[in-house]
Amino acid sequence: MATASAIPIQRNTLLSQVRGNLGPLLVFVALVALPFVIGALDGHTVSEVLVNGSGYSMFIQGLMVEVFILAVYAISYDLVLGITGLLSFGHAMFFAVGAYLTGVLLKTFKMPFVPAGWHLSVTYAGLALVVLSSLLGALARWLPPWRATVDRLSTPLVVIGLAAVIWGLFRSTVGMVIIAGVIQALLFGIVLPRVKGITFALVTLGIASVFAIMLGTRELAGYTGADVGLQGIPRPDFLNPATQRLRFYFLGLAFAVAVYLIYKRFVNSPTGRVCVAIRENENRALMLGYNTFLFKLAALTLASVTAALAGCMHAVFKPLVSPEIAGMGHTVDALLIILIGGMGTLSGAMIGAALYRLLDYYLFRWFGASAGFMLGAIYVSFVLFVPYGIVGTWRLRNLQWKQGWRKRLQALRGGGG
Amino acid sequence: MENLLEIQDIHTYIGQFHILQGVTVEVPRGSIVALLGRNGAGKTTTLKSVLGLRPPSQGKIIFDGAEIQGRRTFHIAGLGIGFVPENRAIFRALSVGENLQIAERTKGDLNRKSEMIFSLFPDLKRLIQLPGTHLSGGQQQMLAVARALVADNRLLLIDEPSEGLAPVIIEQMMEAIHKLSAETTVLLVEQNFLVASQLAERYVIIEEGRSVRSGKMADLVNDAATIQRYLGAA
Amino acid sequence: MDNLAVTLRKNRTRILTLIVLLLLFIAAVRGLSTKDWIITTLRGFSVGAVTFLVAAGFSIILGLMDVLNLAHGTLFMIGAYVGWSVYVRPDTFVDLLTPLLLIAAGFLLQPLWDRILQRARLPHRVAQTWPWVGLGLGAAVLVLVMSRAPLAMWDWQSYTDSPIVWTQNFEAGNVGAMAQAARFEGLSPVIGLAGLVLAGAVISASLAGVNRRRGGPAMSGDALHIPWGSVAIAAALAAGGLLVFLANDGLTAWLLRIDTTWLFLIAIVAATLSGAGLGALMESTLIRPLYDRGIYQIMMTFGLSFVGIEIVRAIWGRQGFTMPRPSLFAGAGEGCPATDLAGWLAHKCSTIQLTIGGETTRIRTYNEVFLILVGLAVLIGVWLLIQRTRLGMVIRAGVQDSEMVQALGINVRQVFTLVFALGVAIAALGGVLAGPSSGLSNAMGEHLLLGALVALAVGGLTSYPGAAVGSVLVGLLQQFIIKYGQVGIKIPFLEQPFKPTPPLVPASTVLLMIIILVIMPHGLLGKKE
Repeated sequence: MATASAIPIQRNTLLSQVRGNLGPLLVFVALVALPFVIGALDGHTVSEVLVNGSGYSMFIQGLMVEVFILAVYAISYDLVLGITGLLSFGHAMFFAVGAYLTGVLLKTFKMPFVPAGWHLSVTYAGLALVVLSSLLGALARWLPPWRATVDRLSTPLVVIGLAAVIWGLFRSTVGMVIIAGVIQALLFGIVLPRVKGITFALVTLGIASVFAIMLGTRELAGYTGADVGLQGIPRPDFLNPATQRLRFYFLGLAFAVAVYLIYKRFVNSPTGRVCVAIRENENRALMLGYNTFLFKLAALTLASVTAALAGCMHAVFKPLVSPEIAGMGHTVDALLIILIGGMGTLSGAMIGAALYRLLDYYLFRWFGASAGFMLGAIYVSFVLFVPYGIVGTWRLRNLQWKQGWRKRLQALRGGGG
Repeated sequence: MENLLEIQDIHTYIGQFHILQGVTVEVPRGSIVALLGRNGAGKTTTLKSVLGLRPPSQGKIIFDGAEIQGRRTFHIAGLGIGFVPENRAIFRALSVGENLQIAERTKGDLNRKSEMIFSLFPDLKRLIQLPGTHLSGGQQQMLAVARALVADNRLLLIDEPSEGLAPVIIEQMMEAIHKLSAETTVLLVEQNFLVASQLAERYVIIEEGRSVRSGKMADLVNDAATIQRYLGAA
Repeated sequence: MDNLAVTLRKNRTRILTLIVLLLLFIAAVRGLSTKDWIITTLRGFSVGAVTFLVAAGFSIILGLMDVLNLAHGTLFMIGAYVGWSVYVRPDTFVDLLTPLLLIAAGFLLQPLWDRILQRARLPHRVAQTWPWVGLGLGAAVLVLVMSRAPLAMWDWQSYTDSPIVWTQNFEAGNVGAMAQAARFEGLSPVIGLAGLVLAGAVISASLAGVNRRRGGPAMSGDALHIPWGSVAIAAALAAGGLLVFLANDGLTAWLLRIDTTWLFLIAIVAATLSGAGLGALMESTLIRPLYDRGIYQIMMTFGLSFVGIEIVRAIWGRQGFTMPRPSLFAGAGEGCPATDLAGWLAHKCSTIQLTIGGETTRIRTYNEVFLILVGLAVLIGVWLLIQRTRLGMVIRAGVQDSEMVQALGINVRQVFTLVFALGVAIAALGGVLAGPSSGLSNAMGEHLLLGALVALAVGGLTSYPGAAVGSVLVGLLQQFIIKYGQVGIKIPFLEQPFKPTPPLVPASTVLLMIIILVIMPHGLLGKKE
């Protein structure tokens, strides 16, 4: 990505897009094929896999769903820490709020998972209104006589549409999770402009720890299940992980891919560039006239909403939501994942999540109780010896390798001419 | 003439930046040598390279006959090199007395040297109890120089002693440094050419990380073209 | 007078905040009966004292080295567990003492290795690789010997042998009868002991080699100075280790015979020293390579805190357990509860009865007297160390500009290690002291670190007085909220008094932190950098 932008002229054709992203595309294709390949290895046909008939394939799908959830969670942390350079130790709270809110709303308040009935219609209508009026606004550029009218109309229309969407979302768990994601980012945003660096880390750690302690208290056990965890969450039928595992798998895959694409788009957008500039030197960004607070808040909000959605998925997928996901340990998980993958690389978070989940699984199988210690040792050695992570180190190598060849080629040309 | 310090073609990086790209300086025993050059030419980095604060990646630094590049800073300083950093970096959390005391390399250094120090900087004696934050700029600079005198240093590295000081204080400071040079060798970084030309016997000009000229100060004073070229209008 | 006005104006926010805090305190006091608020305040100070022990080291380390040691809470916890082991299982302690002393003896030879390595001219490739090979070999020898070393242990996986049951055994005075003699299993003691020294020496030499890799060219100029001081100390330690090995049974019997107060004192010393050793080891091997890589340092300490918890879980188990109070604070028989300090010391009472305004109340001697006294002693001791000693001078100077301190010829790296060891030692002391009052659990470090961080953020991150003030504030706030959770707060227009529930305790301290940070980003006593 960084190397691609160094090439002066880049034709934005479909072919070049495919060629530029060959690796991720191949991974995507492989992941789509994975349940069927595993099923075939287990001696089941495609149609059997499609109706969740292959046990081993379902097991692997389950493992992969956990990887997708972890990957989304980790990539959202990468946006905060690796891209924007905000040292937050409260990221587990973002995830846990999503998970617990989903559980409590589904279980205690019997709220539908997605907008249902006429709420759904209103939501769609609002969405359509927003899209149409923005389209109209864009089209009005070529229709000068109408421009003033459209301009005057489009803003209120968008507001009405958005209101309808939010109203509709308020009647669904997913919507509430998104709203909660925004609200908790704003909560962090209160302290964001005042405290920097280490103090920000402490404040986020404090807020998240209080949340974790609250989850574990007996007073709220009726809602959260205290230290046992939240059990017996009623799943929506169309997403029941027991009966609709394959659907869940593809939903998770789609979710992870969508988040990855959105994040990549965000990082390459002007807003994302400012975020990177803030990481490198906040004072310089300030002096260039950027209101760094808003950019940090934007990154934090995006990350918070994504993490909350990952938490929501976690709550639907797992039979039990344990309070551990709100603890400091879960933030360390995210830290470990992006450390393994490479901080600030986005794709590193995806690869790191897969490696981490597999590592976790096999270490516990092999070492039992001391697996946590082994994981810690791996973490420490990554910090000491592979600080750029797998993707970061690979990119660095690749860059040096490419530069080496370029030099050799130049020398050849110089010699020939 | 024997050299107390020889810097031989050193290269120093700070991060990725190649700051020093070949600096050679010879400091004869008992003399004052001035490092001249524009802002950002690498004068301060040269001093820090000698001390091992910015260790050079290439080249040799020979102090009193022994190679010292690559050794650790405290070890290099312990050989008898005193450092007066720019911007009067005294320890603000320490009192004047403690600022001097901390520079002791063996117990009793300060007692032995106090007479000499206070004769050079009589002001410091009455300020001895004051916290470092309460000193004026000139007093801070005096304290910074005095601190480098507490231990038995054979070489003093002084960075911009006149920067930001009132003319009267500069006079005092120059006089002190001049007196010092009777006993110790001084490598001086100085922006103010007037000050440097009156103090130093030899000069080395650094330009973009390279030492480009060196020689006797007396020759340089009359060489308007060189001054113009490397130091701007002086 | 002019000066005063200027000071007042400069510190307006600070003074206003302090006044508001004071008013809050007075309001809180007025809502309680006299005996209740005195007890609550004392408890607040007691919690504050333990919090301070963690916060103090944390803030000194942060100030001098810019290292945010998030493993500090875990080290506090390790201090508690080590203290428990020495206290409840002196036989294990004595068994461990030999290997520890011998390995330490090997480690203390490090200056010697440094000197030798400085003179060695090894081919580049060899110099790059041998330290890692050495580390591996040393670790292998260590594991081999230790797996056969005579260690009386507990086993958390079986209930009858778990720390919980051992604590009960201790209270019943049965540990002595159950202690076993130490024998090397299938390994000649001579080989075993020599192996330990060897492992320590090889590992320390390899570490020196690792550091050397980053160092400069070899120095061949001067003659080889053998650092006789450290060699002598190493020899003394090795001799001590041998002595302990030979006198193992007698020493164990003696430790089990003496009064538990003395045993507790030994536990305190052992925990503090092991904290210092752990701190020095951690700084010199894991933190030092990361000094110029800010964020990785934090990731390292954050990760280490979890490694530490896992280690504790592997050795002592996940289940929490208690630590009996030493006899000086446990008496309940004749003459108890005491009415004054002298009576307590005479009868070793667990409580002192006070009569305030016609009401009687009891304060616990361990929690509300001893802990506060120790907290005060450490506060003053460290303050004296910082203000009155040369080391303190170097620390204060190094906080501002460690490069300049080096340029004066002071080995700042050594000072860093020393200060790190000191900070961790104080935290470990806090841990062993917290054991008898709040029990031991895997989560105790995390909880206390949270309190300490809040205290530091409130008081000013790198300010030493700030750490004390913040800790006391946090302790008081917690205890008053707990108290009001029992009696309730009368709020106008509300029928029922409002009772803060336990989750509000940490929430309130964090809220205090956020409010203070929003008003004063550098804390109550912190300075703007």
